[in-house]
Amino acid sequence: MESAGSNRYTDQELIDQLRQSGTDKRRSEEQLFNRYIYFVREGMTKHALSEDESFNAYSDTILAALENIHKDHFEARASIKTYLYQIFHNKCVDLLRKRTTNKNTVHRAEMISDRLMQLSDSARSVVQTLIDKADWNRLREKLNELEEKCRQILMFWGDNYSDREIAVFLQYKTADVVKTSRLRCLERLRKLYKTE
Amino acid sequence: MDNLDYIENYFTNTPGTEQAREFEERITTDPGFAEEVAFYLAAHEVSREASGIEKKERFKETYQRNRTVRSVPVKRLIYYISAAAVVLGILFTAYIYFSPVSPQQLASQYEKENLQTLPVTMSGRTDSMQTGLRLYNDEKYTEALAQFESILRSDSSVFAAMQYAGISALRLREYDRALFYFKKMGTRQGLYSNPAGILQAVTLMERNLPGDAARAKQILQNVVNQDQEGKEYAEKWLRKM
Repeated sequence: MESAGSNRYTDQELIDQLRQSGTDKRRSEEQLFNRYIYFVREGMTKHALSEDESFNAYSDTILAALENIHKDHFEARASIKTYLYQIFHNKCVDLLRKRTTNKNTVHRAEMISDRLMQLSDSARSVVQTLIDKADWNRLREKLNELEEKCRQILMFWGDNYSDREIAVFLQYKTADVVKTSRLRCLERLRKLYKTE
Repeated sequence: MDNLDYIENYFTNTPGTEQAREFEERITTDPGFAEEVAFYLAAHEVSREASGIEKKERFKETYQRNRTVRSVPVKRLIYYISAAAVVLGILFTAYIYFSPVSPQQLASQYEKENLQTLPVTMSGRTDSMQTGLRLYNDEKYTEALAQFESILRSDSSVFAAMQYAGISALRLREYDRALFYFKKMGTRQGLYSNPAGILQAVTLMERNLPGDAARAKQILQNVVNQDQEGKEYAEKWLRKM
């Protein structure tokens, strides 16, 4: 069932809006989310997931799609619906596998592999080993301990927004100021993370 | 902070060959620097994750809001349709459950569901593993196998190369070679997840020589008993075989 008004845009129009910056983008994200929200029900009926599980699979699907659209990895070879459904289906299957094998924390490395893959085999192996040893819970905690502005700036950065876009959102004067502040925040996070 | 700036420049701009070489050499020779690179990547991931959590919260609010609006009036006809669907469902499940399926069919179904494509990253850069994966996904299994074996020749301990070499051999119907790699994977201890058992069973089920089905059953039973990767398939197949 699609929510009222969610059909106003074609796939291309929606993608164009999602690639834009500013508050319209946020609205478009919700529009994309609402358009295929009935997938949640399908996850429950076709994959026997609970409503919570199916909702999580669906929101993870939207997050993955948003990231791919933002990074221009979505090539529009198929309609958005087909594309989303494929991701959603895989997420449902993953959930079922996790449920039966109790393997909940897999693929941490795969999430950052885009950047890791830029490194040569030998350098990657060194960094990969260090990443595997990282205390992720502590890093999450320390991120939450940062002051709100720092946390926000880093979250936008994590979401792959450019410094120019972050400057608009958080009312910084220029992208350069954002960059300096962002690197300072990162340094602060690193110190917090390292301090016993 | 200077290092963080330098690290960021490497990842966000396309570095020249010389710059990339210097950067990568520093990682392998300077442990402090390598740690900063790992921190940079981990911090980015944790920030991405935090942003995702916030978005999910927002989505949840939207979902809850819409959910209350979306309740549909129930009509009597729905009861009849539901009852008919339940009866048909039971008959269909019974048919699926009790109809005999050959081990080869099960193995081939597994291949279709799990081994059609292997995960390739989106990075434009290439390396030996990614080249192998791309060849595999282009169904050039012979070339993919050669690529993974070449990785193993330079470092025989690369688990992923072992796994992908075995899978490529399986796709080429070179069962003995596939089994060689999967057995080798099975000897690897301390991994979070190891699909060696289920892959060996699939290979034996597909090869289907005298004794293969019995051996596959033993392996599947092990997969179930030891809660290994592929347990859900193993349980299902053991009921059918």
